[in-house]
Amino acid sequence: MAAETPTGGGETSESQGAFSRWVQSTIQNPQKAYRALFYAAMVFFLVTTLFPFYWLLVLSITPISEIGSTPFGFPPVPRGAFPWNFGAYIEVFQQVPFHLYVLNSFVLAITTTVIVLLIASLAGYVFGRLRFPGRGLLMLGVLAISYFPPAAFLLPLFDAFAGNQIFVPFTDIPLFKPPRLLNTPGSMILPFSALFMPLSIFILTTFYGQIPDGLEDAARVEGTTRLGALFRVIIPLSAPGVATAAVLTFITVYNEYFFSSIMATSNEPSNWSPLVGGILSYQTQFTTSYNLMAAAAVVGVLPVVVLVVIAQERIVSGLTAGALKE
Amino acid sequence: MARVRLEHVTKRYDDVTAVDDMNLDIADGEFVCLVGPSGCGKSTTMETVAGLTIPTEGKVWIGDREVTNLPPKDRGIAMVFQNIALFPHMDVYDNISFGLRLRNYDDDEIERRVERASDIVQLEGMLDRMPDEMSGGQRQRVAIARAIVRNPEVFLMDEPLANLDAKLRVHMRTELQRLHKELDTTILYVTHDQAEAMTMSDRIAVIDSGQLQQIDPPLVCYNQPANLFVAGFIGSPSMNFVEGEVTEDGFRSKNFGIEFDPAQIGVSPGDSVTLGVRPEDVYPIQNATGLSDKSEEIDATTDVLEPMGDEIFVYLMLSEDAETDMSGVTQDQLLMSVDPDSEIQEEQDLDVILDRSRVHLFDSETGEAIVHGLESPAQAGFEGGAEAETDD
Repeated sequence: MAAETPTGGGETSESQGAFSRWVQSTIQNPQKAYRALFYAAMVFFLVTTLFPFYWLLVLSITPISEIGSTPFGFPPVPRGAFPWNFGAYIEVFQQVPFHLYVLNSFVLAITTTVIVLLIASLAGYVFGRLRFPGRGLLMLGVLAISYFPPAAFLLPLFDAFAGNQIFVPFTDIPLFKPPRLLNTPGSMILPFSALFMPLSIFILTTFYGQIPDGLEDAARVEGTTRLGALFRVIIPLSAPGVATAAVLTFITVYNEYFFSSIMATSNEPSNWSPLVGGILSYQTQFTTSYNLMAAAAVVGVLPVVVLVVIAQERIVSGLTAGALKE
Repeated sequence: MARVRLEHVTKRYDDVTAVDDMNLDIADGEFVCLVGPSGCGKSTTMETVAGLTIPTEGKVWIGDREVTNLPPKDRGIAMVFQNIALFPHMDVYDNISFGLRLRNYDDDEIERRVERASDIVQLEGMLDRMPDEMSGGQRQRVAIARAIVRNPEVFLMDEPLANLDAKLRVHMRTELQRLHKELDTTILYVTHDQAEAMTMSDRIAVIDSGQLQQIDPPLVCYNQPANLFVAGFIGSPSMNFVEGEVTEDGFRSKNFGIEFDPAQIGVSPGDSVTLGVRPEDVYPIQNATGLSDKSEEIDATTDVLEPMGDEIFVYLMLSEDAETDMSGVTQDQLLMSVDPDSEIQEEQDLDVILDRSRVHLFDSETGEAIVHGLESPAQAGFEGGAEAETDD
């Protein structure tokens, strides 16, 4: 046992236990302790983040008759005979048109992301690169929007999207009559874009602000307008930031339920009910198909996993780059 | 190719005036250096020509067009930046052709032009490299190629050599002069390095506090500086300044005097003036035999020697109780440049004289030059000039 110590300890450790020897060698080589801490922390985070997915997987391959009859132990293991019941992954598409819910969420997320990136890029350019009085205050105002609880906007927005006449507050002077947007993507994309814009503006401001002035000047002298310089030089050079803003916006909208569940007046794909609406549609007044909901959740997560894997390098450098200078 | 004119250009930022009533007229094909200390407004002046800054007042003309409010892309200019400013996400070819592609040139034309530009700056075989794979000098050449590829009417260069090491800087200096000869384009060049300005330009525009101090060929700026600022800025090490007063028969300072007829140069006794003399126009008495136009002898003690190889800078103390004021200027010190083989020691008593024909007088109050070189007072018994002994 003592002979196994590769380094450190030395002859004096012959009589000591393995842990004492490890402590000894750690004192001589503190890097070891840091590495041990790192692994401990990593395992902790991996377990806490991956365990829910594992449980979803277990649930999705366990027949509904087995769920709820007896509680799962810890760690939960799939029940039933070996090749387990993967049928739930087919059934989710048979019972409701789940793919349409996924498609809805995709369309909403992509449209919102495009709108947010476009407008936030312009705003980020202004906040990050131009000096003008009131800039700080204006930026604070933009950020303040994201501090509001989204629920505060819900009633007036619903009222407006329902196509009701808008009045000047506290009077009965009619202002305008908006079109009825309920059950259309407009009623969701508009509030999403507004609510998730501040974060993207903030991210892009930081990135665009760090591009040296000389590069923009060079582009302008070479023949672009300010806008051209933004799209040809500043945005390409801020790719990590743009990717970060895009992915964060995409995922938030993709997972969004609060607004869309209300703006879609019924949980139908034709009313633009989103992914989460789809998952919840396996729950009826009398039954809750946990296995189908779990399977649907796994299916819904897959596109995001793919997206993040593709973009992860950029995102990681994007999330950290803002903090570092050069 | 075009003439560039600035008419009463003023740029104010809040309460700072960066450029103050600047008038410049740069001829077609001329190489003009804007030179001045940091923050003097020379870069802002150039930016108004480039269109990156819109002047608060005044007009900018390039060729026959008034361009004051035109965006940079419509001015027919190209610019080389201090930080080089290559687009890091494009390779050399794309960097050079950026402007051409924006203007929708066809591919063959772009290729032909890029080839020619990269030939001129000797970048053959590097067109597919990325900027971060190149050395400072190579990047600088790419930046120049990017500027010349569009055949601009005016070249603007904002301290293009500032970030290069000393050896490369000298090399690029000659390359730029060669380029100017080859292209024959108007070049406006900003630098804080007066040596760079002296060596390259047809004319130097010396700027201080946003105001044009003098615009003249390099040697005129050197020999006939318009005011104290130009005198002190052009030339390295800079000119000695001695404050004093006009007397009945000349100039007198705390430690020495120099004779002339005040009426002849339009000053009157009692005026406070500053005498300026360059280090190379101060001579130890034994070296001054060839000098025809000597001043009186000045008692001095050598303080510190700075051997430069081709010359020695000698700091002379003119009195025992030499004092230095806050800005490091002292009334009691003179800087002298002598031959490297002069046998001068530190802490040695030494009599020096000034070359009267190369002495400048400035009005102490306004700083304006009064006279460059003093006429010899018609006075007998003046020795010297007999032997043709060399001195520098």
